[in-house]
Amino acid sequence: MVEVEEIGKTFADKKKGAFRAVDGVSFTAQPGEIFGVLGPNGAGKTTLLRMLATILEPTAGTARIAGYDIRKDAQSVRSSIGYLTGSAGLYERLTPREVLAYFGELYGMRPDVLQTRMNDLFDALEIHEFADRRCDKLSTGQKQRTSIARAILHNPPVLFFDEPTSGLDVMAARSVKQFIRRCRNEGRTVLFSTHIMSEVEALCDRIAVIYNGKIAAIGTPDELRARTGEIHFENVFLRLIGEPLDKELDAGGKIHA
Amino acid sequence: MPETPVAPQLTSLSGWGRALVVFRKEFREAFRDKRVLFNTIVSPLLITPLILGLVVSMAKKQATEEGKTRLEIALVNSEKAPATVATLKEAKNADFTPMTREVAEKAIRDRKFKVAAILPDDADIRIAAGNTVTVTILLDEGNQSSQTTANRLATAIGERGQAVTGERLIANGLPLDLARPFDTKEEPIKGGGNVAMVLIAGFLPYMLALYAILGGVSPANDAVAGEKERGTLETLLVSPASRFDLALGKFLNIALICLISCLLSVVGLLWPLYTGWGGMSEITKATGGLHLEPFTILVMILVQIPLATLGAGLLLAVSTYARNQKEAQTYLMPVILLVSVAAIMSMLLKSDSSILYALVPVLNAALVLKQALEGIFNPAFFALAMASSFVYALLAVAFAKTLFDRESVLLKA
Repeated sequence: MVEVEEIGKTFADKKKGAFRAVDGVSFTAQPGEIFGVLGPNGAGKTTLLRMLATILEPTAGTARIAGYDIRKDAQSVRSSIGYLTGSAGLYERLTPREVLAYFGELYGMRPDVLQTRMNDLFDALEIHEFADRRCDKLSTGQKQRTSIARAILHNPPVLFFDEPTSGLDVMAARSVKQFIRRCRNEGRTVLFSTHIMSEVEALCDRIAVIYNGKIAAIGTPDELRARTGEIHFENVFLRLIGEPLDKELDAGGKIHA
Repeated sequence: MPETPVAPQLTSLSGWGRALVVFRKEFREAFRDKRVLFNTIVSPLLITPLILGLVVSMAKKQATEEGKTRLEIALVNSEKAPATVATLKEAKNADFTPMTREVAEKAIRDRKFKVAAILPDDADIRIAAGNTVTVTILLDEGNQSSQTTANRLATAIGERGQAVTGERLIANGLPLDLARPFDTKEEPIKGGGNVAMVLIAGFLPYMLALYAILGGVSPANDAVAGEKERGTLETLLVSPASRFDLALGKFLNIALICLISCLLSVVGLLWPLYTGWGGMSEITKATGGLHLEPFTILVMILVQIPLATLGAGLLLAVSTYARNQKEAQTYLMPVILLVSVAAIMSMLLKSDSSILYALVPVLNAALVLKQALEGIFNPAFFALAMASSFVYALLAVAFAKTLFDRESVLLKA
């Protein structure tokens, strides 16, 4: 479970002064749920996820991840989460097997457990054929599958995905989305951040719309549609953040009672 | 019904254990990098001896050529002293061309002649009277070749003068040794330093200081700046390893590679001297071979530890501060320049210089090494140099660790 309480982050900027990237955000995401964090670029999604993953320290509020407080027990939080971003790379001079072994050792996994887990993931994600090839020789899809295996290697109950499909082709993006659904079906808590409306509609059970560092709305896709009276999610999003609608979508895109 | 994820099965891996995991991975990855293989192994083992061999062979070639070539001398006032000119012309390997002083000076400036000899107006009278004739040698002090030729001319005139003295003594029925009451010859002591050691004492401190930095540049740049660039750092930061574990593991790897690079630079400098490769045999054989005392070898190894540690700390700090590898390279330039200056100073300073130099980073280690190679052991200088080097190394590591804790530095990309 992920429980976020009034979390905030203010950056000190020499030129702009203090900049509030995340401001009083609160929500709860349950096990077996894909919780979407939707917002435009610069809305504060990455900062929010980085705080929850203990990469950044909050300047206000706190959160509990799998029961551990991010401020008090950062190491237990890090042991309980998997983290995958679209911009994450791999160690080019290592093979997928070596990358996974490295992270497994860092997570303190016992050698026999690590070996079994790696074999299971190689089967599930079809990594066997390139497991001993250097990462710089892999295709984008193969790299993404390796990154997925790395994120879930230690069997974490909570998973964070920050724009995980950015830069991927349709096939690779599809396999990422399938993997996210599988995580939910396995009973994990999934936090999924994106600015792509179609992904939110297709994947998320509940959505938090974030804009200028604040939560504009939280609900299921249908609840948000009902609240705004719009069908197309782009218009739902624009209504929630108070921006003018897309005229082409607007034509016939209303829910009629 | 979804299955509940199993909590990760963790061992009781300590912070040091995680730092060791990071170190092992970094070390394995580093030696798959061609840049590391070249800078850490190939360069000190092969490039250093190649440069050294080139320097020695060029110096030898120049010395041989200068010894063989005839001296072309501009001669001023030759018309006033025909008898002196006739005497000088009997000098070996020298040709004299008469001209005025103005023409001679211009010829030296234009590098058509390297030097000119000016005869005094009364040269012939003084020769006839058995007095000394002072020959003025005009030279360009900014031209090394002019200085060398001036020395050769002075030697040639001196030799010619001795021949004239001999003739005078014989003409007066006196023995030749009358004009030379003393003679000297040189003999090296057993167990003393030799030319090879002087060569090593000059080169080695510089090489060590430079390789303490250069050897670790690629793995250091890769360690943090490279991870930022590739997007792997974030995944590492969400692992249970603390920032201290990560910084320590990376630091240990860079320090070990710097140390390997230093050690190999010593091997690279010594193997040509032991094997006589690249014309080194003349240097070593002429002085009874190269002998390094166990104490000298021990000091050579000991001083490398703080040097490599300091180098690794500086490199890690630069790599952590930089956004990417390109930026890290730029920041490294002044660091390498400063280290080079300190190392070059060790070539200029005498090994028994003031103890205060033991407080100057890099230079202190270089001077300890120079002392050891010259057979000197100054316990106070050695202790102060080692202690201050470790303090500087610790400061560099602490600075790198501070940067590692700063979100604004670690996450800037």
